Amino acid sequence: MRVEALLQFALAIAYVVLWVFMPAWSISGANYSISLTPWGYVVRFFSETHVIPPPTVYAIWLFAIGAGLLPLVWRRSRYSLYLATLFSVISLSMLMDTILFQQRYLQFHGYTIAPTPNGYIYVSLPAKPTLGIPTYVLLALTILSIFNMVTRARWLGTRVIEDPIVAVERVLKVLHIEYSRVEGGVKVGGIKIIRRDDSLLLVNDHRIDEVDLGTAITEAVKVGLKQPVSVGVVDYGED
Amino acid sequence: MATNPFKITLLISILSIAIALTLIWGTAQTAPNLIRYSTLSNAPYIKVDSINVTSNGVYIRLALINNGSLVFKPTGGWVEVVDTGQVVNVTVINGTVIAKLPLTLQWVSLASVGVKGIVSGVLNGSGAYIAFFDVVPIHVINTIGIADVSYADCVLNVTLSVDTVVPVVIGPIINMSLFTVSTPGYYVFETIGIINTTIYAPAGSHNVTLTIQVSPALGRYTYVYSCNYLSGFSKYTLWLPIGVTYMYPTGNVTSYTLLTKTFVVGGGS
Repeated sequence: MRVEALLQFALAIAYVVLWVFMPAWSISGANYSISLTPWGYVVRFFSETHVIPPPTVYAIWLFAIGAGLLPLVWRRSRYSLYLATLFSVISLSMLMDTILFQQRYLQFHGYTIAPTPNGYIYVSLPAKPTLGIPTYVLLALTILSIFNMVTRARWLGTRVIEDPIVAVERVLKVLHIEYSRVEGGVKVGGIKIIRRDDSLLLVNDHRIDEVDLGTAITEAVKVGLKQPVSVGVVDYGED
Repeated sequence: MATNPFKITLLISILSIAIALTLIWGTAQTAPNLIRYSTLSNAPYIKVDSINVTSNGVYIRLALINNGSLVFKPTGGWVEVVDTGQVVNVTVINGTVIAKLPLTLQWVSLASVGVKGIVSGVLNGSGAYIAFFDVVPIHVINTIGIADVSYADCVLNVTLSVDTVVPVVIGPIINMSLFTVSTPGYYVFETIGIINTTIYAPAGSHNVTLTIQVSPALGRYTYVYSCNYLSGFSKYTLWLPIGVTYMYPTGNVTSYTLLTKTFVVGGGS
């Protein structure tokens, strides 16, 4: 599992959790306010409070979770990253559409007029629109998913591997070479690569050589390629 | 490879875009049912409480009616009297809204007037304006009282403070008497019948003096016990029933009123 994909998932979860606690979009004023929550618009008018749930609001967070979850669930093909990007873009579009819903149907001009027995009352209700922090997190999620799509979730670069045996194992895994773990190292076909202190030992049938990491990998691959080809899983490896 | 990932991706993409479009369309369709219209109920309003026409001017008192949970605090505004065309700003004194207009000739012939205006203020922390229009009967306030009394050598001087909207003719006097405030009381003089002394006072606030020679010549039943204050008594009451004719443009109106004044002569009690 790639850290990049995990990061994308973490952003999606952070977005939804944050949204529960703070509005993604709000128009705030003294006696009138609108806040966009995951369950709809909460409209406060003097002592009244109403919840207006436009259906698109549910799509926002469902698509966002999808955008975070998909690269973890479907790891075989890079298309999962493409689909995740599509999901995050749809999530963002749904958010914009929901904000447009407010502009279209929950329009507010900053005042209210009510009749009285012998006239009317005009109450000025100035309100300030604000984009909430969750929206910025969603924006970050979209940008990250695009970035992951372009780099195939590999922008963090090669990881520094402390243990040379792990490095050998990774190479073998990528090439679908079967190997077995032995004490202190790995065994590929007839050879063993064993770590001893700071050096690597290449153990053949007849001899033991002290080798560097590059030689050890080359030797292991040489032996390994003689195996019948098997099918394994490589994260986002396929076209 | 059982399935082609490109095909899966294409399928899911088309599906999710279709879902998104359907939701947008559905939201637009259901929007009129989703939204609610709210308006202020039991909002505070302004009522014209009273209009008092006095010689100093016309006072319009506005009552603020807060009959809900919303609290309105007035800060200013204006009123217009439709019948006279007068427009004036209101004054807010301890939450009471009062407008003072100059007295014009039209006022004395009006029975009720239409008052419209706007009072600005703060409603639950938000700036608000209350517009109103009321037709209200007007109260004309005319006051006539005794300011000062002196009696010497059978001459009675009564200073009247006249505070009226229209010119008045004061008089005649019916059954006037001056007596001591004591037990038992003693008359200084007493008249039974009408004394046809009249005095004219213009509209506004003025002092006028009635001078009456108290003698039996005033009428058959005039009893004069003394031409000066009685010795040994310092506190007296003047009892002055009097007719007042208000000269309204629509006609004269005469009413009878009882004016009394208790006063102390000299330094004693």
